[in-house]
Amino acid sequence: MDIISVGAFWTIWLLVHLLFSVGLLGALTHQAMAVALPVRRAAGGIVTRFRAVPAPGYATAVCVLWVLTFIVGSYIYTKYRIFVRIPLEQSGYFKTQGFFDFKEHVASLGLVLLPGYWYLWKNAQNEEYDTARKMVTVVLAVMCWFLFIVGHVLNNTRGFGS
Amino acid sequence: MNTTANNATTTAAATATTTTSTTTRAARSSLAASVKFKAFALSFSTFGPVIYCFCQFFNWPLFTFHPVTNRLVWGYEGPRPGEGPNMLWYGWTATTLLVAVVVGVVAMMLPARMTKKMPLALMWLFPILAIPYIVYSLMPWWTH
Repeated sequence: MDIISVGAFWTIWLLVHLLFSVGLLGALTHQAMAVALPVRRAAGGIVTRFRAVPAPGYATAVCVLWVLTFIVGSYIYTKYRIFVRIPLEQSGYFKTQGFFDFKEHVASLGLVLLPGYWYLWKNAQNEEYDTARKMVTVVLAVMCWFLFIVGHVLNNTRGFGS
Repeated sequence: MNTTANNATTTAAATATTTTSTTTRAARSSLAASVKFKAFALSFSTFGPVIYCFCQFFNWPLFTFHPVTNRLVWGYEGPRPGEGPNMLWYGWTATTLLVAVVVGVVAMMLPARMTKKMPLALMWLFPILAIPYIVYSLMPWWTH
């Protein structure tokens, strides 16, 4: 006896992927803003307060969320390959599909950066790592935004429910 | 009565402070403070993007997955008639992780003075430099 339909099952996993990615995007954006544009004085407007977060505290959460988002994304990718990509190709959405392939490569590049990123943040007191820590965090944040936007556009083009 | 309560609060606060500082010290003295982990993590993340590009360029998947039949094959296998498409990305990522772990372990065994010479800038330069290559490798999609 099926409790939920096959379509609902994969849609739930897609939503789990979305929720993890939203958490990751928020954490990485906070951290990247805090490290790229550090706040000199407390208080101020919403943008200043957005930047004034204790950035080192996000490192482990970012790694865990990246890995979780990656695992769930990899799981739903098997169905995407058959039920989304093939119709996309048949409909002539070649550039859209190109961006999905771009997304999968960027996700893997981000994954391999995590151990170094984590190490640099866990040694945030070491000034020798300041530039590398800032740049790696900004690179990961840009990657995360790219992954999120491409995923969003692809879901609009042809989500699991379509 | 109040004095006793205050003393109890002070003692509790002192205990909490001690616990916190112990925890902080413990965290610093663990993985993040290890010289060997430093060599592993920095080498893994620096060379990981390069290894990934090589895996994709030379097509070295650790395994190929066939999603229609749920079949997993070691190494590369092209799509077979009647069995739908093949998926190589899992295999490329697995090869990258495996080779990057080997690179990291080798770095751990090298003297610290050697791994210290590795420029940290490469860790963020390599993934940036990988992007133009990735875009180029996807040319068939852009020019279709």
